[in-house]
Amino acid sequence: MSRMVPSDDSIWLAQLRRGALEHCVLALLRHRERYGFELARTLADAGGLLAGEGTIYPLLARLRRNGLVNTTWRESAEGPPRRYYRLTAVGELALSTFVQHWQLFRDGVDRILEEASAA
Amino acid sequence: MKTNSDVDKLVAHCLSQLGRELSDLPASRRRQIVEEVSSHIAEGLVALDTEDEAGVRSVLDRVGDPSAIAAEAGAAEFRPRVPRADALVPWLLLLGGFVFVVGWFLGVGLLWSSSTWKVRDKLLGTLVIPGGLPGLVLLGTFSWRTSSTSCGGVSPLGQRVVIHCVTSGFSLPAAVGILVLILALLAPFAVAVHLERVRRRSVNNVHG
Repeated sequence: MSRMVPSDDSIWLAQLRRGALEHCVLALLRHRERYGFELARTLADAGGLLAGEGTIYPLLARLRRNGLVNTTWRESAEGPPRRYYRLTAVGELALSTFVQHWQLFRDGVDRILEEASAA
Repeated sequence: MKTNSDVDKLVAHCLSQLGRELSDLPASRRRQIVEEVSSHIAEGLVALDTEDEAGVRSVLDRVGDPSAIAAEAGAAEFRPRVPRADALVPWLLLLGGFVFVVGWFLGVGLLWSSSTWKVRDKLLGTLVIPGGLPGLVLLGTFSWRTSSTSCGGVSPLGQRVVIHCVTSGFSLPAAVGILVLILALLAPFAVAVHLERVRRRSVNNVHG
């Protein structure tokens, strides 16, 4: 078996994350609006999804620029006012498209990995 | 137990580091990210049971490396691909010669090593006029002397040679000599302006 170019773990992991992460954000917003800290903690606690909690904010800003989410400020009882993120119709569409593709993709990868380990 | 000002200092340090990492982003994007991370940290501190140093550090650790945030923000795409040193080149070529002549050579070096200008621009910048303004002055005085001592000798590029030799040989009206002199004086300025315009155009292309 030929050895491929030695891969840098952090590069492929970052690439894998990039595609999945923003759709996880959309999924978290499907049923209710959330604020940044809440989103960041949830994703960080889910394990391996976030490189650092702070990296969620450039991503949220991008989702907002692309019209997938919009935001509103709300007062908070515990601290400074919070910027809440809500899914837009465009965001909902992007999420359901991703869900379909993700299921096919996941099944495909799983099948290949299982066949490889069984052989 | 940390005092409030110690906590503030740690947080402020983290945020200023983030601001620096994001410095290539458009200001509005940078402001929004820093603002959000700042309130994220505030929320994290509120969630702590006791605001001791370990707790504050854990909140900042969880926020992650500012450079990772900058990478996610695509800061690299906004980094000027046109080297900042390019901005110096027209000035160095024009006036660098006054700095022990080295300044002009530095300008030529930067000019040729940059990809901002085409070969045509580089030749123009180097040959019009070697040494820049001080070079022109030197050439002028040099040719004045050579022409007044021995008019037959031809000095390189010296416009004044023409004027003085002309008086002994062919006769050209003095107005032509003056015109040539004025053109020679304006040429380095024109070339500097041209190089600057090419540079600005390429900066705008990168950011547009």
